[in-house]
Amino acid sequence: MKRYRATIAFVLIVGALIALGYAAFGPQKATAALLSGLTLAALYFLLGAGLSLIFGLMDVLNFAHGILFMVGAYVGYTVFGNPRLILNTAPLFLALAVGMMAGVRLGRFIPAHRVLPYLLGIGVMVWGVRGFPLRPLVAFEPTTAGGAIPTALAQEPLPRMMVRLVQLALAGLLLGPAFARWRREERRASPWRPVALGVGLAALAVLLLLGRDGLEKFLLGLSVDVRFLLALVAGAATGAALGALVETTLIRPFYGRPVTQIVLTLGLMFAGAELVKFVWGKEGRPPMAVPTAFSRSCRSPNLIAWLTEQCFSIDVLGRAFPTYRLLIIAIGLLILAGVALLLKYSRLGMIVRAGVQDSAMVEALGINVRRVFTTVFALGSALAALGGVVAAPFIGVYPEMGSTFQLQAFIAVVIGGMGSYTGTAVGALVLGLARALGDTLVTTGIALPGMAEALRASPAVARASTVLIMAIVLLVRPAGIFGKKE
Amino acid sequence: MALLEVQDIHTFIGQFHILQGVSLEVPEGSITALLGRNGAGKTTTFKSILGLTPPRTGKVIFAGEEIQGRPAYEIASMGIGYVPEHRAIFTNLTVEENLRIAERRRGDLKKRADFIFTLFPDLKRLARLPAGHLSGGQQQMLAIARALVPDNRILLIDEPSEGLAPILIQELMEAIRRLSAEVTVLLVDQNFQMTSRLADRYSMIDDGRTVRSGTMADLLKEPEVIRRYLGAVI
Repeated sequence: MKRYRATIAFVLIVGALIALGYAAFGPQKATAALLSGLTLAALYFLLGAGLSLIFGLMDVLNFAHGILFMVGAYVGYTVFGNPRLILNTAPLFLALAVGMMAGVRLGRFIPAHRVLPYLLGIGVMVWGVRGFPLRPLVAFEPTTAGGAIPTALAQEPLPRMMVRLVQLALAGLLLGPAFARWRREERRASPWRPVALGVGLAALAVLLLLGRDGLEKFLLGLSVDVRFLLALVAGAATGAALGALVETTLIRPFYGRPVTQIVLTLGLMFAGAELVKFVWGKEGRPPMAVPTAFSRSCRSPNLIAWLTEQCFSIDVLGRAFPTYRLLIIAIGLLILAGVALLLKYSRLGMIVRAGVQDSAMVEALGINVRRVFTTVFALGSALAALGGVVAAPFIGVYPEMGSTFQLQAFIAVVIGGMGSYTGTAVGALVLGLARALGDTLVTTGIALPGMAEALRASPAVARASTVLIMAIVLLVRPAGIFGKKE
Repeated sequence: MALLEVQDIHTFIGQFHILQGVSLEVPEGSITALLGRNGAGKTTTFKSILGLTPPRTGKVIFAGEEIQGRPAYEIASMGIGYVPEHRAIFTNLTVEENLRIAERRRGDLKKRADFIFTLFPDLKRLARLPAGHLSGGQQQMLAIARALVPDNRILLIDEPSEGLAPILIQELMEAIRRLSAEVTVLLVDQNFQMTSRLADRYSMIDDGRTVRSGTMADLLKEPEVIRRYLGAVI
């Protein structure tokens, strides 16, 4: 009995939420709310999975996790609608990264005097990006297949871009030594691997620049579906890279200092939101175009019919429900199963499960736990970024999306139990349902007997309801539904 | 020649100066006992050797190489197995997973399975069970078995008999004696009766300093010393 207490609690809560929905709103609206709830739950889960894994393994409360959700969304959106911006900026980032890689390695031979080159490096970086035509490059609308970008003359000529490339590589070279002390000497089997990687990345940067016009034509000529897939891959990859970068440079020096970590990641959250505002503007953008299978303007009577008709919405008890949201639910379930399999059957998963309990012992077995930390951080970040891309055709992109969804994901993780993977999925489900029911309550209200008009609640009530549920769950089970006692 | 040599290490935990000059030698093929009262610094010595609490000064030499200051995973991979106090097995992993996670090369477990399961036949029967369901004695066997999976040249075993029934302690002693034919052992245990019968050599620390070392046979001739440093009577 005791072993199943968490499962029973979970079934009771979800059952109560669903029953409440049906009793208050009737089957039609309640089913719609249920499906909306599942959609939100899928997004909360994609964010929460990383939060929970990172907390479980590294004891890091990553308040910057929402950034990755937002950056994923923006990068996906840009790859989808404005590859020109990516093609003109990615080479610059690559040049900076290559310079930094070389600088970090050089830094090992320079024991002191790192501050001056660092300051100089910042100067060179500013010099390298000065006058970059960011504003005109960013001005874009989502384009259809074969469409053109309305920023014809925004690009700088190639020679000017090549100069920027060299400037940023130099900046990286100067900045690198400052980070050298954070990396221990590693006796590598082959010293040529990092060199090959650096040369490869540099070549990629130059090739991207040289082929930018052709590539842009090619990318815009692709169908919406292929570009959507590209957006997913690019978003997730950016998330993984950014996560790995944040872990190695900002989180790693502060393991075991929780207050520093919280302040640091919280600051990162604000800085990231401002950076996104600076690049893409304060205003959000309308939802991204959905893949063709979800785009025809009609309403399919059921899922089987949708397979051939490919309608935008599907009939659920007489109400229309957008089919794209079903894709969000499906992706959420797919990732849920995929990560569960990874945790249960792969060696990495085994190490993660062991590390959640005792990471020092894992290291004492001869396993490079730091590298596992980076991998898990990157993986969690990639999931959050993927969530952002998936959400873009649903809610659009806007600078506050990161903090909004992060707050909800945190509540979901806390309800489910910090550090428990099952708990995260359960918490996301509970929270998604509660949120959707709250929204229904706001829009339709409850008809109470003896009252002429339905009782309506303000939107604030819907938002507060999630926090209320968290408070109740924590009062009954302080560690969350599936949380272990301390 | 000594397989493991510790030369005058000083280790701090926070601002506390825990080890204030510990030196010891573990000859290849021996069982060496690290003796001392509670809080003398035995566990910290183990952790300092492994790099979990790196020594601030002094040298740790393993198989002719200085290893102090290297990351713990690198030190362990050189062939040092750790069986910590309170076992520290992974309770939410199965018994088999607890062994498999210790593999440094694919197939390590398969290669050593016969040796391990002859030493601890119980573990074979329990392989699919979550390790948290095991009894204290079985968990201790698992912790030692885990250190035997990769090609370790030395095992650091900390308080193996703690909390075990006397009959189990006998069994465990026998297992350690048998495995010492294949691997060098550095042993810490409060049970002096057991340690004195197992070990060939000893090193004694008191208040974070090495005070004596030599052969166990010589130490047993000096009950006065044993009483003074360990409070034990033979």
